[in-house]
Amino acid sequence: MGRTKILGKWMLAAAAGSLVVAAACTPSSDDEGSSDGGGELTWAIGGAEAQPGGVDQKIAKLWNQQNPDNPITIETLPDEADQQREQQANVLQAESDEFDILGMDVIWTGEYSQNGWLESLDDVRDQIEPSVLEGAFDSAQWGGELWAAPFNTNAGFLYYRTDLIDQPPTTWDQLCQMAEQAGQKNGIGGLIGQGRKYEGFVVNWLEYYWSAGGELYNEDNSEVLFDPDIATQTTEFMQQAMDDGCFAPGFNTATEEEARAAFQTGKAVFMRNWPYAYQLIQDEGDPEVANNFDIAPLPTFSGQGTISALGGFNNAVSAYSSNKDAAKEFVVWASTDPEVQKMLATDASVPPVLTSVYDELQNEPDMALLSKVLPDAKPRPPAPTWNTISVEMQDALFPAYNGDGDPADASQSVADAFNESVE
Amino acid sequence: MAEVATESRTLSGPGPGGRRPRTKGVSEKGLGRLFVTPAIGLMVLVALFPVIYAFVVSLRAYTGRQYEGFAGFENYSEALNDDKFWASLQFTFTFTVISVGAEFIIGLGFALLMNQAFRGRGITRAAILVPWVIPTVIAAQMWFFMFNVNPGFINSALGLGEFNWLGESGWVKFAVIFADVWKTAPFVALLLLAGLQTIPTDVYESARVDGANAWQRFWHITLPLLRPAIFVALLFRTIEALRVYDLPQVMTGGAFDTESLSMVVQQYVVKTPDPGLGSALSTITFTIILGIGVIFVSLLGRELVIGRKDQ
Amino acid sequence: MSATTAGTGRSRRRSRGAVESSTSARTWGKTALLAVIFLWCLFPFFWLIMTSFKVQGALNSANLFDGPFGLANYRNVFNQDFHLNLRNSLVIATMTTILCVVIGSLAAYAIARLPLKRKILLLTGVLAVSLFPPVALVPPLYELWRTLGLLNTYEGLYIPYTSFTLPLTIFILTTFFAAIPKELEEAAKMDGASPFKTFYRVILPLAAPGVFAAAIIIFVSAWNEFLLANTFAPRDPEVAQTVPVAISLFTGAVDFQRPIGSITAACVVVTIPMIIVALAFQKRIIAGLTAGSLKG
Repeated sequence: MGRTKILGKWMLAAAAGSLVVAAACTPSSDDEGSSDGGGELTWAIGGAEAQPGGVDQKIAKLWNQQNPDNPITIETLPDEADQQREQQANVLQAESDEFDILGMDVIWTGEYSQNGWLESLDDVRDQIEPSVLEGAFDSAQWGGELWAAPFNTNAGFLYYRTDLIDQPPTTWDQLCQMAEQAGQKNGIGGLIGQGRKYEGFVVNWLEYYWSAGGELYNEDNSEVLFDPDIATQTTEFMQQAMDDGCFAPGFNTATEEEARAAFQTGKAVFMRNWPYAYQLIQDEGDPEVANNFDIAPLPTFSGQGTISALGGFNNAVSAYSSNKDAAKEFVVWASTDPEVQKMLATDASVPPVLTSVYDELQNEPDMALLSKVLPDAKPRPPAPTWNTISVEMQDALFPAYNGDGDPADASQSVADAFNESVE
Repeated sequence: MAEVATESRTLSGPGPGGRRPRTKGVSEKGLGRLFVTPAIGLMVLVALFPVIYAFVVSLRAYTGRQYEGFAGFENYSEALNDDKFWASLQFTFTFTVISVGAEFIIGLGFALLMNQAFRGRGITRAAILVPWVIPTVIAAQMWFFMFNVNPGFINSALGLGEFNWLGESGWVKFAVIFADVWKTAPFVALLLLAGLQTIPTDVYESARVDGANAWQRFWHITLPLLRPAIFVALLFRTIEALRVYDLPQVMTGGAFDTESLSMVVQQYVVKTPDPGLGSALSTITFTIILGIGVIFVSLLGRELVIGRKDQ
Repeated sequence: MSATTAGTGRSRRRSRGAVESSTSARTWGKTALLAVIFLWCLFPFFWLIMTSFKVQGALNSANLFDGPFGLANYRNVFNQDFHLNLRNSLVIATMTTILCVVIGSLAAYAIARLPLKRKILLLTGVLAVSLFPPVALVPPLYELWRTLGLLNTYEGLYIPYTSFTLPLTIFILTTFFAAIPKELEEAAKMDGASPFKTFYRVILPLAAPGVFAAAIIIFVSAWNEFLLANTFAPRDPEVAQTVPVAISLFTGAVDFQRPIGSITAACVVVTIPMIIVALAFQKRIIAGLTAGSLKG
């Protein structure tokens, strides 16, 4: 009696349970993911421009108009580069053909090619090389082979307040003098950059290091040229700048956005940032800042020339794509088509890689400055071990410039990391 | 084993331990096994397999993501020789002890308050739960925004000028712990509140009649009877705190020795992938946390299986 | 502070005259305490709400009340199919809660009451399941899920969620089942009730506070879970992308720009229903013992 009743109740519960489960099953959708036959292309790219309304979407539309046989759709990845890489890695490690074209940060080239994830683009090299910026093109190569087609680039600017200083500085020491003077006079900070413990800090540090004459590798990345002495001087400079107020408060917790927020609310005399901030400050900044700022090349220690770090994105073809020919055509087109590259600049304020666009848009101040700065912009080596080195640099140099470690020891750790990378 | 015998003796009177003649068909023991099976089954299926996989991977050598061959325990010695690991261990322990301690005290206070009958208690209870309900990543960004020098929200509220909370060694830890306590004290409060419900009110009545004051009632009645709930709350908060990731990652990026164990594991699994080392670190982390969990369970967990002996 | 519900009324009335003078001081103290608690808990949420209504440059100002204000952020949020994410999260969290409570209460009852060998070992094993760093579990699970076709599905998420939340559930529920006096069960059995009926009629109502507490905890954990959701269902709100993942994908108008406005707006949209759920559940947690059978 008890047993049947129990069983009966259990059956009822089980039946009810399965009904609920059935109702809770995933809604079916049309795009099942990896159906990639029939000439369709999938472009896996992240960032603001990949969202609906962004310039990447417009580019995709343009391609579809011109190439109805090989329509492309964008698979929108997250905003942060690390997360984009993670999602791409998941798909690529599974050797899936879900993604045909990969939007890659410039520093991933070596890693992706080493993992066998990319299709070599050496056969279309000649279609790209002559018309794009050299630095951008270099970032798409690894081991002498071309693995990606440059898409957009980026370089660091010095933003400064025209109402607080007369002439932009040409040396870092000059900058610090001006920053401290003008800052104290007006009760605001000096220079705000990206000093938080992340990749952006490495970029900032490298800009100081390079402008002091330092190098990382030789031409073909086979030999380490990292100079611990220059590195120590660089770190000591940053440490000094933190101590005596050349760096604005909050320098060591700021990423690009915090820096922009500080500058555009009038809390700093100088800012180091990418070109994207130029338009935003004019649109959103406090009126006294929006009307009184300008851009200039980053200073160096010697006062000669300028150096900035090279950023940007490249497009690569997945080695597992089922549509490689069309994919290759797309990446070449995105790289060299004048209309596309111009769209990047005009619609999104994203620096293009096609040199002819810079001639065309000379009258825009940010484009003019870019054409001045880009030839001297230095890329971080797109080595497979770059992330490891970068993390080591962050671990060693961040505490050092904050007074929590010895700059010389830190530089030596970094040198060791570089040396290990070529063993 | 002793507990089992005791139980069957009290419940079924003298007789063969385990077998209960009263229920036809399924014995109590069998019923017990039946009841536990779905849970065990699901957990084994979903959780055990990856753990074993991770352990196997930890015995292999990798260069980047490329498999290079069998490595034995090399990954483990590499992990244990890494300064970063020990620094993160130290921070994680410090963070856990201070955080859980503070959460317990504040959570207990909240629970006692939420248990009171007063006007507006519903809203108060809901208000207390709000911090916990907000997704951790958002809360982390929010606290970053508030503590950061720019725009300096907390600074201007307290008139502190340009104090660099997140850029000073020491104060950074305070900020992270503060954010964590704010976020998870409600969790403790919730568990303790539910626990308070199991204390029958007539116990308080008789104590009151006997002349015990509020503090004595709290210390001699509430706390002891709350032990099981305290145990669960402390155990799980400790485990969660040992695995903290989002808060320090978003607020500090690991600067000034605020890198937690999980952040180090994350780095070797995602950022600078080395599956062997990452899995080794995970296994080591797992062992440490399991060890602490076992200590908890053996010290305080007896009551769960024996049940409350007194009223 | 004493924890009482109905009992104090009588005794307080009896001694009210004697302690009248200190009662008002007490009330003031209590009110002040309440105010502090409200401030502590709600101020950041207030900040969230204020920020979500700010537009453009106001977002960078330290002053909460700096305009301009507007609904742009909310519009932005819903333009991105956020309601689909809400639907996905709701289903997944609900399924997880139901499964966890059902499976977990069975196991918890067995551990608390039924004769089982090696309970401490079992509890430790159960605990161990939830200890492994999730980030290291993800690669093998991702492979397995891909092979089984469970990526981008509801089941692919609520099954592991249930699995990883079961330990906490079992611990909580075991605590509450064990706290119920054995005499009640024995009385029920004396009256001839089957174990199932005992469980259903006597134990479960008494353990209700614990069950509801566990339910809220499970629901909120499943709702806020990010790592697995981001790996197994990273895109496609139409299918299974959950709320935390969607929020993490919000971007500003240009690269690098962090859309704190949209993020806070999404957060407000997400938190308010959760508060309602919490409000509804908290009543049930307290309701517990007034079922009466304990005192009887």
